[in-house]
Amino acid sequence: MLEKMMKTKLFGWIDERTGAEAILKSQLTEYQVPKNLNYMWNFGSLALLVLVLQILTGIFLAMYYKPSAALTMGGYTVAFDSVERIMRDVNFGWLIRYMHAVGASAFFVVVYMHIGRGLYYGSYKGPRELLWIIGVVILLIMQGAAFFGYLLPWGQMSFWGATVITNLFGALPVIGGFLQEVLRGGFAVGDPTLNRFFSLHYLFPLLLAAIVGGHVHALHVVHSNNPTGLDVHEGKSTIPFHPYYTIKDAFGVGVFLLFYCYVVFFNPQMGGYFIEVDNYVPADNLQTPPHIAPVWYLTPWYTILRSFESKLLGVVAMGASLAILFLLPFLDRSKVRSARYRPVYKQMVYLFFITVIVLGYCGHSAPTPTLKLIGQIATTYYFAFFLLLPFVHKFEKTKPLPEEI
Amino acid sequence: MSDTLDHTRRNFLYVAAGGMGAVAAGAAVVPFIGSMLPAADTLAASKTEYDVSTVEAGQLVVIQWQGKPVFVVNRTPELLKEVDGHDEMLKDPNSEEIEDVSAEWMTPENRKYRAIKPEYLIVVASCTHLGCIPLYKPSVGRKEWGDSVPENWPGGWHCPCHGSLYDISARVINGSPAPHNLHLMPYKYLSDTKVVIG
Repeated sequence: MLEKMMKTKLFGWIDERTGAEAILKSQLTEYQVPKNLNYMWNFGSLALLVLVLQILTGIFLAMYYKPSAALTMGGYTVAFDSVERIMRDVNFGWLIRYMHAVGASAFFVVVYMHIGRGLYYGSYKGPRELLWIIGVVILLIMQGAAFFGYLLPWGQMSFWGATVITNLFGALPVIGGFLQEVLRGGFAVGDPTLNRFFSLHYLFPLLLAAIVGGHVHALHVVHSNNPTGLDVHEGKSTIPFHPYYTIKDAFGVGVFLLFYCYVVFFNPQMGGYFIEVDNYVPADNLQTPPHIAPVWYLTPWYTILRSFESKLLGVVAMGASLAILFLLPFLDRSKVRSARYRPVYKQMVYLFFITVIVLGYCGHSAPTPTLKLIGQIATTYYFAFFLLLPFVHKFEKTKPLPEEI
Repeated sequence: MSDTLDHTRRNFLYVAAGGMGAVAAGAAVVPFIGSMLPAADTLAASKTEYDVSTVEAGQLVVIQWQGKPVFVVNRTPELLKEVDGHDEMLKDPNSEEIEDVSAEWMTPENRKYRAIKPEYLIVVASCTHLGCIPLYKPSVGRKEWGDSVPENWPGGWHCPCHGSLYDISARVINGSPAPHNLHLMPYKYLSDTKVVIG
């Protein structure tokens, strides 16, 4: 179909003025991809799909949402009421809001799978270091966007989550207090905070879209890794992206939408994991809910924060746990990419996945001494994983690599 | 005019022009970041008046000041006695590590009470860890509070978020994640019972 379209007169006219044919060929029909990619390679295109869904649903929600903490006649706030109005009165408002709220979680599910695949198959290793680093930037911006967005419904969890996180910045020496005031625009989280978070929540996805463009561009320069981690050469081991992988990605989209739609239509709150129950209580700055936990996708890092007695150390460790991802390509010195041929790394990376899940579980639960200890052990391994990597290749006996894929 | 290029001169001009451009771009950031700081009307609404006589003996009331919660506690003679005898459990018994907003009225004798009138404790109600509002658990020991507090509980506050503990003068207890005592704020008595905070 694409071939046919490229032969039309109209396309020829456009091509003369934009060079569109060369772009389509180099990026799609003649862009070479290893032929042995498995289904773990579907999550990149799914992440792009969810980003588009989030931007689309977000634009429509912004037509009705009002970022104001002013009190209404009903005794609630303008922001809280506008969200309830979207749910009850706006045509299809419930659908668009649930798509957006579930989409936030789906985005992280898909992106965490994508990152996990990169870890397992060594996709972060040279020559894809910068591709990985751009990806980490995307993750950080996503977390920022999710955090800003979570304040908007102005429920109890919104308010107290924002209070806790802005207080984190206050812990930094010298600039902490200033940073906190810049974030809040007042002495506590309040109306000015809500306004600026709405503004930033609109800005960050635009940044994301731009940086995702950079991510894809960087990918198309160094090309996809593959399950064997071998460098592949054009010819026998590669196939063009279009139509082979467009069709495979389209199949992935179908499977993804099945799950996504099930949650949106039948279980949008996902038992309090996707939308926390406390957030249906309007924000009250005089009453802290008994148990504050961030949404599931931020809980692993929240556990790292809680694992330290000292507030400053906790904040530094949480920052370091994310920052260390930037260094990963340079920490791992092994010449072999894929965990398939790295018996020691394979165990390490599986344990790392389990650790992140354990950290997430601890962060979601109310703090008890046992969970705190488990969290501390998991935090230790989280960092140990990265700090051991420079040494693993010295004693690891890698399995023989195949000649070809 | 000579035909040969003076490269040092040209390089200097490049660096000078580029440097000035960078300074100008940096200066242009000031109004934008500045606009994110609290606005004039937010700053103006920074005083709160309150009549402490409306707080019953032994009772705690949460009021608002600058959008922040503030505890006003009417401490009975029994509660005032709980201030003594556990200095070794405290991180900072004399509140020396936090900004001193009470220099005008603080005396060595009322340092442990942290209040102009010992019977009325007025402190910012945000846990110095991450800003949650601590729960008021004034009675000594575990009888009323179960294992949310330690066995030798002197009475005070317990933060539900991350388990920070404060005594009845809102001084933080060792082992809490909170680094500091609950903050005092500037306040003064306009009359016998009328207080202006801020």
